[in-house]
Amino acid sequence: MNDFLSLFPLLIICSGGILLMLLSAFERVKLENAPVLSMGIFGAAFVMQLIASGIPESTLYADTFNGMLVSNGFTHAASLVIIGCGFFTSMSCHTYFRQNNPCTMEFYSLLFFAAFGMLLLTLSRELITTFISLEIMSLAIYILVGYDRKRVTSTEALLKYLLLGAFAGAFFTMGSALIYGGAGSTKFYDIGIFISTHSAATPLLIGGTFFIFIAFLFKVAAFPFHAWVIDVYEGAATPVTGFMATALKAAIFTVFANFLALNSALQKEWVDFLFYIALFTMFGGNLIAIGQANIKRMLAASGIVHTGYLLIGLVAISTESFTGSVIAYYLAAYAVGTLGIFAALSYLGGKGEKRMSFDDFKGLAKVRPYSAAAIAVFLLSMAGIPPTAGFMGKFYIITSAISAGQMALAVFAVVSSILSMWYYLRLIIIMYFHEAEDAFEIESSVFAPACTFILVFFVFAIGLYPIVV
Amino acid sequence: MFENVLSVMIFLPILAGLVMFLSPVNKGVARLAGFIVATIILILGVELFIGFSGTAAMEYVENRTWIESLGINYSLGIDGISLLVLFTCAVLFPIIFVVFSTRTKGFYANLLITQGAMIGAICATDMVLFYIFWEIMLLPIFFMIGLYGGPKRLPATLKITIYTIAGSLLMLAALIYVGVSYHTQFGEWSFNIVQLSRLDLSGGYAVLAFVMFMLAFAIKIPLFPFHTWLPDAYTEAPTSTTFVLSAIMAKIGVYAVVRFVVPVFEIEFARFALLLALSGVVGMMYCGLAAIAQKDIKRLLAFSSASHMGIIALGVFCMNVQALTGSLFQIVAHATSTGVLFLFVGLLEERMETRNIGDLGGIAYRAPIFATFFGIAMLASVGLPGTSGFIGEFLIILGAVKFNVFIGFLAGTTIIIGVCYMLWMFQRVFFEKTNERTEKFKDLSLVETLTFLPVILLIIFMGIYPQPFIEKIEPAAQQHVANFSSMPETHVVDTIVPTAGLKHQKN
Repeated sequence: MNDFLSLFPLLIICSGGILLMLLSAFERVKLENAPVLSMGIFGAAFVMQLIASGIPESTLYADTFNGMLVSNGFTHAASLVIIGCGFFTSMSCHTYFRQNNPCTMEFYSLLFFAAFGMLLLTLSRELITTFISLEIMSLAIYILVGYDRKRVTSTEALLKYLLLGAFAGAFFTMGSALIYGGAGSTKFYDIGIFISTHSAATPLLIGGTFFIFIAFLFKVAAFPFHAWVIDVYEGAATPVTGFMATALKAAIFTVFANFLALNSALQKEWVDFLFYIALFTMFGGNLIAIGQANIKRMLAASGIVHTGYLLIGLVAISTESFTGSVIAYYLAAYAVGTLGIFAALSYLGGKGEKRMSFDDFKGLAKVRPYSAAAIAVFLLSMAGIPPTAGFMGKFYIITSAISAGQMALAVFAVVSSILSMWYYLRLIIIMYFHEAEDAFEIESSVFAPACTFILVFFVFAIGLYPIVV
Repeated sequence: MFENVLSVMIFLPILAGLVMFLSPVNKGVARLAGFIVATIILILGVELFIGFSGTAAMEYVENRTWIESLGINYSLGIDGISLLVLFTCAVLFPIIFVVFSTRTKGFYANLLITQGAMIGAICATDMVLFYIFWEIMLLPIFFMIGLYGGPKRLPATLKITIYTIAGSLLMLAALIYVGVSYHTQFGEWSFNIVQLSRLDLSGGYAVLAFVMFMLAFAIKIPLFPFHTWLPDAYTEAPTSTTFVLSAIMAKIGVYAVVRFVVPVFEIEFARFALLLALSGVVGMMYCGLAAIAQKDIKRLLAFSSASHMGIIALGVFCMNVQALTGSLFQIVAHATSTGVLFLFVGLLEERMETRNIGDLGGIAYRAPIFATFFGIAMLASVGLPGTSGFIGEFLIILGAVKFNVFIGFLAGTTIIIGVCYMLWMFQRVFFEKTNERTEKFKDLSLVETLTFLPVILLIIFMGIYPQPFIEKIEPAAQQHVANFSSMPETHVVDTIVPTAGLKHQKN
């Protein structure tokens, strides 16, 4: 019974996707109501996931899925984050598509399929399952990125993402094949056992692991595979960017953490590699972000920096003190902040996303004080200023790094967050300390603003009651 | 109610500030509400000061579990070290609401939030809790300078914000390092300062963590050479913000050194004490000399404030009872003298629309009450016997001579420098000839006189009869110093000359 309960949210999301597809084929629902419907389905899935999170022990689906899926506290937390992201994304879509080229019903259906792929990804503990769910997710996301095909930036983003993403997928299959050749199994756990009894230093395993790392690092936009993320985030519709930045990252990091935690021997071999990747990701991201004039591009680059912090969590991972809860907490904290700011941009952006550069937001606080305050809260959360969720997230990440003996990495993380103050503060300064030049007229719709303010509440709630850890 | 008095003092202003932000009240109501809240805090503060029994232990303790897995607690408490800082923070706020008006209600809301956060930082006995309040108290300052400051406010805001945040983020890493070390040594998580003082830290990382802590506090105090943000921020900030910054926030930096750095990093502190004391002395001489050259009164006071902060910090670094008591006493004395001088300059600027010393003159003939009050605060600031400033500075210099004669000597000279810039400024502003501008200067109104009178009386009272204050500080100061010097002598000697080998590498 518990087995089924943990899978129930997954089934709801999957059938939600199919339902929306059918509804759009038969044109039974008005386009206006589609986001409300998808909010309902995501909401139901969220409630089910909450109930399922009450199960203390982890479930290994040994009979049902031949041990290819597992659900435990960590995957529950990650699934909650992903479903929550879906919910708030549909909420901001409602407003966004009133102001921009309207989408069709299939958009929401694809949102569900992407979420389905992500949820499956969090559960998987086997390479082939991982690949399948990775592709389910990616295909849906490719289409979502390029949905507005009349816009040039959108098409450009789709092309870049698709071509590079296809390479990443190919690398992943190649890596899986090599690992299977080297270790004789595709299950994370069996690979781990093989490596702890044999050596990880065989060419097949080294090559295979390397390729798999490339695929994962590409998907989370870590250095040196981060270049695509700026253009893709800019080209995609704002709510989609928010979804990609949060849910996608949560899914990949969950499976990445599962992969490393079950292969602690492998992780020890690669810890130096991850160390430098984390380091360069943080500083590379900061250097890119400092120079941006467009908010979406800045957020894309700051997403790279946050990937770096999450990678620190992976460096610090160990079987004695599995830092999964730290990673899950950071993902949740990062997700509320980022989703919130993208929700705010969804309605403040105006027609055709005309307001997207820093200068367009001059004096926002004078015209729309509450929206400006909300954005300021999200930025401070991303910057890690207490008492927001972002601060506790950073606190946990640094604690886990120092506990694992990575003092240097902790110091670099701190230096990097000092650098990141610059571009977060810059937006606050522009919003507050300049005179307004724009009237900031927006389409009246309650959804995205409501979403923004609910997320403000969550930023503080998660920050003050860090229950996950 | 009185069991949770500290929580009330923290969260009443913060909540009042937030409500003020979110509700559509006009600025008159906001000012009145702010005044009422500040007065309640004042009453609670005085009540708390009188009720404080003056043992060395923590009083008014509150303790609640917050984040169990990491041993982070919501724990508050005050002892003789924090008492006077808290007292300063609680009693001086109502003046601002009476004397100054501003453009929008947001200013009052920001002021209240800073007050709450500062009280939180003073009362917290858990390091993480302290850190949270420490960061929160900067945010309102950021908005106050950026929104209501002078013409060059943007660079000043950025400078103070980036500077302070850089310092505090480094402190965060060091703080976590301390917590993790406690976990490795004792097998449980705790960030409580009493427990952390049992820690035995040594090795390279301990020095690094110590430096990170000191950087954060040195920037806030500010100690030479981290004072460069100060003149700009103090000058550009609206007067009441400057007052908060110089009278209270800078003191929290000094207080935090005593509270958090000294007990945890005894060895490193002993090792670096001379260097730190030198930086305090150099800072006060340098800033004092710079003050002589200033043409703008506010900038002059900014440098003078920095110079005095050097003296207060020096008292902490000397690490003996006299100097520490002197420093803690001087915290109040400095807030009531230099802090109040900033408020007077604010009034002067409001009436004259200039802060340029050259444009002023002869104000004493037009405004005798104002001149008298200004004069008393100024004399306290330079440490004239009979005022509060004398007691503090005397004790600090006494302690400094005990610590190191040379440093004590240098500390003594700075009082002369102080007299130079202050008296000269006073002469040029209040005496000499009146000009067209100062002809029209209006003296303090009745309300203003009544507002400032208690502070002026406090200055004189503390100068003539300092005993009630000193007897509350001294037990805690004694115990603090005793804890510090109970550290085995060999331990210190051993670490001053690090020996080769693995002995110091255990972290």
